[in-house]
Amino acid sequence: MKTLVIIPAYQEAKNLPRLFEELKEVPRDVDIVVINDCSTDNTEEVCRQYGVPVVSLPVNLGIGGAVQTGYKYALEHGYDIAVQMDGDGQHDPKFLKLVLSRIHEGYHMCVGSRFIENKGYQSSLSRRAGIKFFSWLIKLLTGQYISDPTSGFRACSRELIKLFANSYPKDYPEPETIVTALRNRYRIAEVPVIMRPRQSGESSITRNLAAYYMIKVTLAVIMAAIARRNGDGDK
Amino acid sequence: MNQISTVLRIILIIGSLGFFIFIMNMVRTKKLELKYALTWILTSLSFVLLSIFPEILYFIAAVMHIELPVNALYLCVIFLLLMIVFTLTVAVSRQALRIKTLVQEIGLLKETLERMKK
Repeated sequence: MKTLVIIPAYQEAKNLPRLFEELKEVPRDVDIVVINDCSTDNTEEVCRQYGVPVVSLPVNLGIGGAVQTGYKYALEHGYDIAVQMDGDGQHDPKFLKLVLSRIHEGYHMCVGSRFIENKGYQSSLSRRAGIKFFSWLIKLLTGQYISDPTSGFRACSRELIKLFANSYPKDYPEPETIVTALRNRYRIAEVPVIMRPRQSGESSITRNLAAYYMIKVTLAVIMAAIARRNGDGDK
Repeated sequence: MNQISTVLRIILIIGSLGFFIFIMNMVRTKKLELKYALTWILTSLSFVLLSIFPEILYFIAAVMHIELPVNALYLCVIFLLLMIVFTLTVAVSRQALRIKTLVQEIGLLKETLERMKK
């Protein structure tokens, strides 16, 4: 199956080379595309050096818009599976095979979770509390427990590539898209992965934005849970 | 109930008529798109009507049990303003979505173009 790794990148020139090197080691044959979200550093040049296809957006769209571009790229080029990986080095390509295996087994989405084996970078206490809250909320709304709904390390099957290429949240998309997928009766699996603290740069969710993040995502998740289903029975 | 003075009435009629003409002219010269100007046209028309027939306000106040007609005026104005702001929010949301799609399309096209050049 044709597999694409989507790497949304904003100011990640320092982190990308290591990720590219690690991706070379992956035995499975995967293609890569970097979505350069209007970085002002030389993210684009770094990708060129490594011969990695790069889609450079002329305007900064934020993480959601960048990832959606990746899904559009995957749809356009006829990929069967798309895997999202952060450009900041948090996600270890070592686990790519494991994440992909669930899609091969017939799941529509597979999320790499930090909180199944609780190994590696576990994030701060307050962030873990926030993530726990979303796990609980998603369980309440959809009936399925997802231990790491904010994880951006995830693989999607062709059906979800189509869905996400069509519509994708603008910012903080991770928990919301899980609910959208479950709402449309797609099957989601989780596999344990070990994440690393980001190598350099800053997280998009700073302390001042935490309250805004919680409120916005809570609302988005509830809205996704009561949204109209798209393409019923099309599985 | 206090009646408004004739002078004030004339000033209000001239002012609201001027506002209406100004907006119609903006639409005529295509500086405002008719779609978004509709709420403004409606608003300015109601101002014209209210200044010519302030009795409308007395009537609204009486029907809704509002003690002072001036409060009925505030109610009308706030309602119209909310309507305008809401239509603007709808317009902004739609524009944002369209711009996002365009930006993504441009990015993808640029990538295709570069690959074809090679």
